[in-house]
Amino acid sequence: MVGKPLKPWQSMLVMWLSVIIILAGYTFLSNRQHEINANDKTIPTWSQLKEGIQKIVEKNERSGERWLVEDAKASAERLFLGLFYGFFGALFLGLFMGCFPLLDSGLSWPLSILSKLPPTAALALFFVVLGVGTNMYVGVIVVGILPISTLTIRLATRDIPKELINKALTLGASKGEMVFSVIFRHILPKVIDTLRLQIGPALVFLIAAEYACAHVGFGYRLRLQARLVNMDVVYPYLVILILFGFTFDFLLVILQKLTCRWYVEERSGEHGKN
Amino acid sequence: MNMEKTKTEQNKTIFELQNLCHHFGEGKKRNNVLYKLNLKIQEGQFVSLVGPSGSGKSVLLRALVGTHPPRSGNVIVYSGKNNEIAVIKKKPDRDIGIVYQAYSLFPFLTAIENVAFGLKLDQTKMLGRLLLPIGWRRLRKQHMELAEEMLNKVGLSEAKDRYPSELSGGMRQRVAIAQALIMKPRIILLDEPFGALDEATRNDLQDLLLTLYQENLAEMKKGNRPAYTVLLVTHELYEALRVGDRVLGLSPHWDWKKEHERFPGAKIVYDEPAPIYSPDKPADFAAMQRQKNKIRKAVFDPIEE
Repeated sequence: MVGKPLKPWQSMLVMWLSVIIILAGYTFLSNRQHEINANDKTIPTWSQLKEGIQKIVEKNERSGERWLVEDAKASAERLFLGLFYGFFGALFLGLFMGCFPLLDSGLSWPLSILSKLPPTAALALFFVVLGVGTNMYVGVIVVGILPISTLTIRLATRDIPKELINKALTLGASKGEMVFSVIFRHILPKVIDTLRLQIGPALVFLIAAEYACAHVGFGYRLRLQARLVNMDVVYPYLVILILFGFTFDFLLVILQKLTCRWYVEERSGEHGKN
Repeated sequence: MNMEKTKTEQNKTIFELQNLCHHFGEGKKRNNVLYKLNLKIQEGQFVSLVGPSGSGKSVLLRALVGTHPPRSGNVIVYSGKNNEIAVIKKKPDRDIGIVYQAYSLFPFLTAIENVAFGLKLDQTKMLGRLLLPIGWRRLRKQHMELAEEMLNKVGLSEAKDRYPSELSGGMRQRVAIAQALIMKPRIILLDEPFGALDEATRNDLQDLLLTLYQENLAEMKKGNRPAYTVLLVTHELYEALRVGDRVLGLSPHWDWKKEHERFPGAKIVYDEPAPIYSPDKPADFAAMQRQKNKIRKAVFDPIEE
């Protein structure tokens, strides 16, 4: 029936079935490709993939470093710093723009313009202004996520029912308490949702910047190995990126459950009603 | 401070409107809403305000809360031992408590936290809570005990740890009333608080208000000051008559054409006492019906030309 919710075991079964179908499809395609060309590297076999993974995790003969460790260290540092500055900047700006119209009218137009700028198109600018170190990658991520996150948080702040604001005033709330004890707490779950949504774009900006300029990092390694058509290395790297994104997202979901139980229950209640 | 303080004589008036006028827009786009409202509410009164849709009840309420001060005239709240201090209200503060129909609670706080929230905002400062955590924890415990007492009073102690989304509409309004009561404001405004509830729940909540009114009467018998003064805005005439000891009718239907070329705004056209009920006293439906008819004629029916 249309829209009828599945039982948990049915959802599990369908999920695993889809995983098995994808893996079986890949195996079939890879085998077929290798029947045509035994040296094919575009759709590596499982044993080729195993060799690729070994290349990633074992010490490299030439550099003496493990690719995965040095790339993960460099990319993670850039990503975390970029998300930290970009997101906390957005939180601060969005919250205060939503609360104080004067700040809003001063900042909303430059942020609207900035939000239309694809940071990957302005790499040369970042290169000139911030150099080639970590700052450049952080700058790309900040410029990529800050304007949209700010505007989203500003909208969430403005969406708070006036009744709640009035009520807080009649209970004796000062301006600071209004901002931090009422408005911030009200928008916190949406702030976390916004951060979850920005992980993907942040990764895109980082990989693109590393693709173009880096000497180490996921983007650099992907560019290098893709040029050599070493898909046995590229595919595991892509899986690592996906897992990285999932882990980060999962941690944020846990954070939301811990800090905003009311929101999680409200949402599950709404879904239950549906 | 944007409040003026003056000494007045000893009086029982707790709340007063003086020539309150309100309009939106200017020039040709001017839309007059309220015209020269004069009203005195005495300490301990439960006043019901009724009026047709669009008569300006919400605008009046906003003016009373202080979020939209009147264009002219004053809202005065009296305080002090003998209500001798008159304060012209220009912004929302804890003198006036409010219970709305929707969004009556903070969704991120449990029932007990919602009730204690006002005490936290009123009695402590953010910096103080951060710098003196031990003192704040001690005070917090007292606040929670008071909040629990208040929840007991409105019959909700078993639901104290639930979030608003886990409470029924009636329970939410009980918590909202407790949240307003704990602050001991000079007057509590109820903005159609039971409008979205079923009849049984609505009756229960009316009984809760009647119990508070009985507490007022008991205190006055002992020679004490009554604790609760309420202004209830409602669409339901039955509710207005059952809960209120006085009914006000705000209406655009009054004889304004004699003195004005264009509509100057709604006025209070009905101000009469209502019979006093207690939760266990059955309503006198015949008497209620007679008064309802009078109110309908005075407030809701357009005047004959």
